Amino acid sequence: MSDWRRIDIDAFDPESGRLTKQDVQPPHASQITLQEITPKISQLRSLASSGDSKSAVALAVSDPPYSGDENTKAEYFKAVLETLTQVRQADIAGVVSGLTSEQQDTLVKYLYKGMSIPEGQKQGGILLAWFERVTQVAGVRPVSHFINDRNTV
Amino acid sequence: MPYQSVAAVYKLVKAPIYSHCFSQDKSLLAVTCKNDCLVYRFDNGPAPQLVATLANHDKTVTAVDISIHGRILTCSQDRNAYVWEPLSDGTYKPTLVLLRINRAATCVSWAPNGYKFAVGSSARIIAVCYYEQENNWWVSKHIKKPIKSTVQCLSWHANGVLLASGGTDGFMRIFSGFIKGLDNKESVAGSPWGEKFPFGSLIREFYHGSYIEDVQWRSSVEKVGYVSHEGALTVVDYANNHAKVNAPDGLPFNALLWINDHEILCAGFSNHPVLFAESGANQWQFAKDIDKVIASASSPIASGNEDLDESEDANGNGTFGISALRKFKQLDLKGKVSTDVKETAHENTITQLLPYAEANGQVSKVSACGLDGKVVIYNI
Repeated sequence: MSDWRRIDIDAFDPESGRLTKQDVQPPHASQITLQEITPKISQLRSLASSGDSKSAVALAVSDPPYSGDENTKAEYFKAVLETLTQVRQADIAGVVSGLTSEQQDTLVKYLYKGMSIPEGQKQGGILLAWFERVTQVAGVRPVSHFINDRNTV
Repeated sequence: MPYQSVAAVYKLVKAPIYSHCFSQDKSLLAVTCKNDCLVYRFDNGPAPQLVATLANHDKTVTAVDISIHGRILTCSQDRNAYVWEPLSDGTYKPTLVLLRINRAATCVSWAPNGYKFAVGSSARIIAVCYYEQENNWWVSKHIKKPIKSTVQCLSWHANGVLLASGGTDGFMRIFSGFIKGLDNKESVAGSPWGEKFPFGSLIREFYHGSYIEDVQWRSSVEKVGYVSHEGALTVVDYANNHAKVNAPDGLPFNALLWINDHEILCAGFSNHPVLFAESGANQWQFAKDIDKVIASASSPIASGNEDLDESEDANGNGTFGISALRKFKQLDLKGKVSTDVKETAHENTITQLLPYAEANGQVSKVSACGLDGKVVIYNI
């Protein structure tokens, strides 16, 4: 019993009430499916390829599929990443300052998501360039919102 | 200058103050300090005198509150709470409160009438405690459901029945803390929040998402304000209206205080309070900073170095060793970001805001404590 300090006492208490993943999930009224988000993804792709980077990014970071499952979120993220990588470096600052503060918050969520998965890490330099511009415009607010928000992208 | 935002600064202890409370007549101040609660008297001269150390707890004291009758209530991470009854010789007689919790107690709040209080805890329990004459101790009734995580903050409605709480599960909840034999139903008659208020019932819950750090009722307009860890102030009412406004600098808030029916003061990691004002029906916006560092011609580290180089050129290079010493002395920023920034009154995070002077529902002075071991009085 020399290691008694390391005993997980909560494991012996059925009412310990340790938080589970479900407990911290926000209460969504309904779940968005991949089919429902597909039109938005194709709209995003066509906007991005037409070169209208401003409205493409604004659309990408508006009303993201918070309530979707992992697959839906991953598909949507792919489209967002494509949109972000198609914007020219010189245009980034202009696009960022044209976003509302909620859109900036969402943008930072996608930047962190990108940096956490291999697909995004391949474009790490671009994501960091976006991140630099957002924090120049909005300060630490989007970052602290990202850390605290349980609506994940 | 006629208007000074800082009325007084008291550097009390070399440890963080998590909670403080003035007595009703502002002659006594209780602050938490490590495992103790320190009581200061204010009447002789400007410097507060330490008159009592309440030392029964054996872990960090997390919160303190003083009732309208002068009883001091402390709670601690040692899972206990004590009620300290003032005696005529200036000492305090502690009475243990039977909280029946198996985690730290995090926050306390006396009900407005001073006959019961609520203690929040990490055991996902709010203990509503009242004095039982027969047994001569404070007993507690638990509110458990549907709290999912640590309770961080509590606030009583002026009617002494509705209890607002916030915590790390991201919900702001309003419970009934109605104690039979202590409260009467007339105090909640005609309340817009509901019809019946049996003890422990969930009256309303508001999902927010991030940690809720502080909550406060404004009974006169039946609204609840709360601040959260992502640096936002939210105001809700019985019709589920919902107004949210972000901190101007994006840093988390720890405390809020209603100044009047249309203004709220918030404070937290930015070391100075921020005033928000109601700008329309269910709309709030940033009004002003109080005691903010004036960053006029702020010189970050880089530009500070340039100034230094110039002055050195003017002095010539004759005394090389001395100028090198001077250069390093000036380069030492002593933890500040730039060389010539005026300090705020609080040098670290503010943990609590309380009204210090109030007349006709308008708070004119606010007291604040912080992790720098200070208590600061602000003029609003």
